[in-house]
Amino acid sequence: MIEYILLATIPLIAAASLYPKDLLKAVIIGTGIEGVALAVIYQMLLASDVALTQAVIASTILPGLFAIVVYKCLRWER
Amino acid sequence: MIQEASFVTAAALFLIGLWAVLEKDNLLKKVMGATFIGDAVNLTLVGLGYRLDGIVPILSEGMMVTEYAAKAGYPLPMALVLTNIVIGVATTALILALCVKIYEKTGSLSVGEIWK
Repeated sequence: MIEYILLATIPLIAAASLYPKDLLKAVIIGTGIEGVALAVIYQMLLASDVALTQAVIASTILPGLFAIVVYKCLRWER
Repeated sequence: MIQEASFVTAAALFLIGLWAVLEKDNLLKKVMGATFIGDAVNLTLVGLGYRLDGIVPILSEGMMVTEYAAKAGYPLPMALVLTNIVIGVATTALILALCVKIYEKTGSLSVGEIWK
């Protein structure tokens, strides 16, 4: 049951991440939370290796990269 | 059933990503939309490799190869997706570096202001 709830919430999380004017918040929701939810789904779809890679990348590397850009540029969308 | 549900989710994710790339004004949000499209493609491929009541494609000790072949999920899409994830991170990093350069040059991440 949890897999269907996750599958339903992933597009909602993705859509919700595009609305905040605070870019740091948008980045953490859009790449971090959405990516980790995808990692759980990959595990349930029998792809453990993909799930491991996705979990590492979505939880640290991608939000980190986006956060560096937000730090170097603008935090608030005009 | 989870396979079909994953395809529906991938389609929704693809449409949201496409909408973000086409309609959002901020460059960072456009890049996020592009990552959503990549995630949708990955989810579709992993969904294709799923097998109902299957096992993770790892050949354990003592397991017969015929039993493994009858039960295991299809491993080829997983290998492709693994490569795609890594390449996706590299290209995203490149695009983000270009965004920083654009910001240094124009002082804005808004496409409307950059194109003035």
